[in-house]
Amino acid sequence: MFFLQSLLSGILTGGVYALAGIGMSLVFGVMNISNFAHGDLMMLGMYLAYFAFTLLHIDPYLSLLLIIPTAFLFGFIIEKLFIHRIINHPHQNQILLTIGLGLIMSNSALLAFTSDPKILTTTYSSSAFHFFGGISLSVPLLLSFVITCGIIGVLFFFLSKSTTGLALWATSQNREAAQLMGINVAKMSAIAFGLGTALAATAGALIAPTYYIHPMAGHTFLLKAFTICVLGGLGSVIGAGVGGVIIGVVESMASTYLSSDWKDVVVFIIFLAVLLLRPQGLFGKKGEQ
Amino acid sequence: MKKKLVSMVATAMLLLPLLGHAAPIKIGFINSITGKEAQIGENLTNGAAMAIEELKAKGIQVELIKEDDGGDPKNALAAYEKLVTRDGVIGVVGPYTSGSANVVASRADQYQVPLLVPAAAKEDITMKGYKNVFRLNAPANVYSSVLMSAVAAYKPKTIAYVYAATDFGVSTVKTAQENAAKMGLKEVANEKYQQGQPDYRPSLAKVKAANPDLIFLVSYDADAILLMRQAKEIGLTPKAFLGAGAGYTTAQFAQQTEISNLVVSATQWTDDVNWPGAADFARRYQAKYSKEPSYHAACAYEAMKIMVVTASKSKTPTQLRAGLKAGSWNGILGPVKFADYSGFTNQNNHPMLVQQIINGKYETVYPAQFSKKKLIYPFTR
Repeated sequence: MFFLQSLLSGILTGGVYALAGIGMSLVFGVMNISNFAHGDLMMLGMYLAYFAFTLLHIDPYLSLLLIIPTAFLFGFIIEKLFIHRIINHPHQNQILLTIGLGLIMSNSALLAFTSDPKILTTTYSSSAFHFFGGISLSVPLLLSFVITCGIIGVLFFFLSKSTTGLALWATSQNREAAQLMGINVAKMSAIAFGLGTALAATAGALIAPTYYIHPMAGHTFLLKAFTICVLGGLGSVIGAGVGGVIIGVVESMASTYLSSDWKDVVVFIIFLAVLLLRPQGLFGKKGEQ
Repeated sequence: MKKKLVSMVATAMLLLPLLGHAAPIKIGFINSITGKEAQIGENLTNGAAMAIEELKAKGIQVELIKEDDGGDPKNALAAYEKLVTRDGVIGVVGPYTSGSANVVASRADQYQVPLLVPAAAKEDITMKGYKNVFRLNAPANVYSSVLMSAVAAYKPKTIAYVYAATDFGVSTVKTAQENAAKMGLKEVANEKYQQGQPDYRPSLAKVKAANPDLIFLVSYDADAILLMRQAKEIGLTPKAFLGAGAGYTTAQFAQQTEISNLVVSATQWTDDVNWPGAADFARRYQAKYSKEPSYHAACAYEAMKIMVVTASKSKTPTQLRAGLKAGSWNGILGPVKFADYSGFTNQNNHPMLVQQIINGKYETVYPAQFSKKKLIYPFTR
């Protein structure tokens, strides 16, 4: 019973991690930039869901219909204003810029919303489905997981079937060649960053009903998203998806069979092992950095 | 000539307040006005401000010099040294956090200026035999002992611990284990967790499998809500949830009625306790700051009152120390006396209260002589 319970709850939590990881991986794949503001973008998603719920009385899951386009636009503008200026610069400049943007976001949130944690309480916040053998599944977590799967499906379809998606895919494979083929890579970068932001905000909104909302909440997830990306292979969307679920399950298993105190240790031992044995990540192509 | 006149007038104006009446007594107040503890620090600021206002209305001339330590022991020590050497205060109230209070306490005997700690819980502060350190609130070990004596009558047999992996969490559980051993409770689960994680279900499932009578919890603000939500989700139902302060004593937690109902917690003060002036203090505080006072506010209020009233009868720090040592008070925090007992020096043997959340409201349920309601046991969903 322990095994099944922790496996299921690990997979469900991992789903949300996966969504955060995919956004980061997509940005890295297309733009070759590690976005350290990713966690703070997630935090903005949490607040959007919170205010949509408290002020407009929209269910946090329904509010995604508002949050996704808003976040996409926000990401698109951020890319046009700031990120595109440093796209051909050394990595340290890019890292400093994204960290700086993240700091501005989290500290503005601290000023505007104070450091009091906010709690989003819906009617189903602490309800669960109970199965035989004493296994229970959290309703909000299950909903988040189903929505995550849906979004990943749509994203995959978009990347592999639509013209824009294929252009994004091409840019991520080889920026120069894509440009030579007549793809507007600057526009693709902005779209990729918009999509990454939308995915981060979605992950934030999905976790909001089962977590608490705080200006610094993104930092917990930034490290997770980064680990997931590297684990799955930087730039690989499928890798990030699988990586997220792996991290979720490992954390859950470690808390069950060792102690919750030890779960990060186990996660990072696996992370280091993957880096040593397969430096390109689980789904990364050989020869990439 | 004109210049000279102006400077004379200016000098006269500067000296005027000194001529008017006797110099007011100077008291220092070290608090966490900024930093991580700022939210609680605000409660202390408000409580102390109310005390000063009332005392001034009664004609006691007092000058309060406020210092911010930002929750950092280094700053607290610098603030104390500034207050006693440059400002010449005869007594100091504060600091709030255990870390800061502990460091400042270690220097109080060197400067010989009495320190009255209003709300820091670490036991060490009054256990080192410092002559100039006084503490109003009950130390950390009382949190668990009062909770366990409240449920002792119902003869629970087993206990599980779920707590944050912090100094506060670990030390509170350590004293709780000692108290549990005295009561003959058997420990069936011990789950230490890292704060800020989204999923505590695996740990809680382990606790559920051990089926304990009591669950002893130590968590901060939002973690408490998260833990109790997930506990409800997986159907964890012990005979009682015992929350040791912090996250289980906030208004935000109580408002989550679906998960907070019947949770028992320990506190230094409640507004429905029958100590003189407690209810009145709560009413006036609510009117002034439009929110409910926390126990921190009550502790700061009472500490400031005791300090200023005693200081107004003393001229030097030595006289103040003797006054604090000899005096006894009975205010919103009940009977206060700084005594030496079981290893403590100048410690007020403050009776802590046990409260239970009933429909979103904290009700005092133990000890019987201070409460109007009875503990509801066992816990039911």
